[in-house]
Amino acid sequence: MLIQFVRTGGFAGLRTAVTLDTDTLPPEEARKLLEMVDASGFFNLPEKFPVPTRGADYFVYRLTVEKEGRKHTVEVSDPVAPAALRPLLQSLVAYARK
Amino acid sequence: MCRNILRNVRSSKEERAAGRKQEQMTDRIPIQCIIPPHMLKELAQKGSPKQRDLALKTLMVSERIRGRREAFAEVYVAPAVGVKCIKVYDAKHGQGLPGDEVQEPGNSNDQAVKEAYDGANATYDMYLDVFERNSIDDRGMCILSSVHFGENYDNAFWDGRQMVYGDGDGELFNRFTISMDIIGHELTHGVTEYEAGLVYYNQPGALNEHMSDVFGSLVKQRILNQTADEADWLIGEGIFTSKVNGKALRSMKEPGTAYNDPVLGKDPQPGHMKDYVRLSPWEDNGGVHINSGIPNRAFCITAMEIGGYAWEKAGRIWYIALRDRLRYNSSFQDAANKTYQIAGAMFGEGSKEHEAVKKGWADVGITIKKK
Ligand SMILES: [Zn+2]
Repeated sequence: MLIQFVRTGGFAGLRTAVTLDTDTLPPEEARKLLEMVDASGFFNLPEKFPVPTRGADYFVYRLTVEKEGRKHTVEVSDPVAPAALRPLLQSLVAYARK
Repeated sequence: MCRNILRNVRSSKEERAAGRKQEQMTDRIPIQCIIPPHMLKELAQKGSPKQRDLALKTLMVSERIRGRREAFAEVYVAPAVGVKCIKVYDAKHGQGLPGDEVQEPGNSNDQAVKEAYDGANATYDMYLDVFERNSIDDRGMCILSSVHFGENYDNAFWDGRQMVYGDGDGELFNRFTISMDIIGHELTHGVTEYEAGLVYYNQPGALNEHMSDVFGSLVKQRILNQTADEADWLIGEGIFTSKVNGKALRSMKEPGTAYNDPVLGKDPQPGHMKDYVRLSPWEDNGGVHINSGIPNRAFCITAMEIGGYAWEKAGRIWYIALRDRLRYNSSFQDAANKTYQIAGAMFGEGSKEHEAVKKGWADVGITIKKK
């Protein structure tokens, strides 16, 4: 599984990005990521979520996952991110920080 | 048709705000104006708002009511006008909001609590004392802030109801309450939602960011008692740890010069239209935190040209634009034209202030268009 992750926006407007290939990760980490992708129902999420009508300085994410011949990209921001997707986003922020 | 009906009815400030917010929400919904009788009655009864700048009266009448209104509008039941109400909550490193209320936040030993409280106070005071605005909604609504949000959270934001501050990761970022302009910035996002309702996307979004930087910086300048010449015009000074090569997140005076660091990269803000950054819609909502450098610099130049305290004249011009003239979809060009018109009405055609606004925008590559 291949994951490309970019976070932008926030008060600072900084770009934070990471690309992960689960084949090159320790098996336990790879397993956790696969679980989070499955739990989020990633391939059934819309490609674009609406721009929130309220709020400002929230983070905006763009996430592409390639898995078993399927590829899907989701653009979403904090106020409208589904709860099921949040653990994956948080985990990817942590990877981007490393 | 609606506009004609409404023009003959004086509305309160709240009605205007509510109308504009609906306008923003219905951006893509083709519902035309339907005014239920109770709303017309409300409009007729609420009569004149508190005394405004007489000089601006004529200017404002034509703009007083602009939006489409909808049948499903929340009926605005005006609460008693509030007195100063500022509350601070501790999110205790979770992401639930608002968290636990802190008693006597003004006397707290917790730095973040105290800073969030003092910053909200200073911002409230500036809006009231300088712009005669009673809190975020101009009806004295309680100002809520949550601190210690999330783990190593590198952000501060406005969630549509309250302000939220992370502690930073300690590696690159300090706590987000560290600089008073950040607090003024976040609170102003609330003001903007109640007034111009600038949609958070592309140029209107960059203007929304710009307004937050302007009034955030003015809060800091006022607390420090600095004239436009004395001010540093930095946004988020002190937010970076000593490991980062940078003095702040943004510079209104010299956009693009706030930081240049091996890890974080270089401050990407342009200070002129020729350097306007076109980004994909998803990326920072089309660069709202990037292109705001252009109007930021226009404001700074205007304030320096006028001289003295920036909040007294330049700030007043910009506030009137935000409150009465800008709309959800306003562009940089609109902001330039309207601030110029306002300055002419407030200080006289060809006055120093009028010319300063023109120069501010001209220096960033925007020529005022007169109707
Ligand atoms: Zn902002």
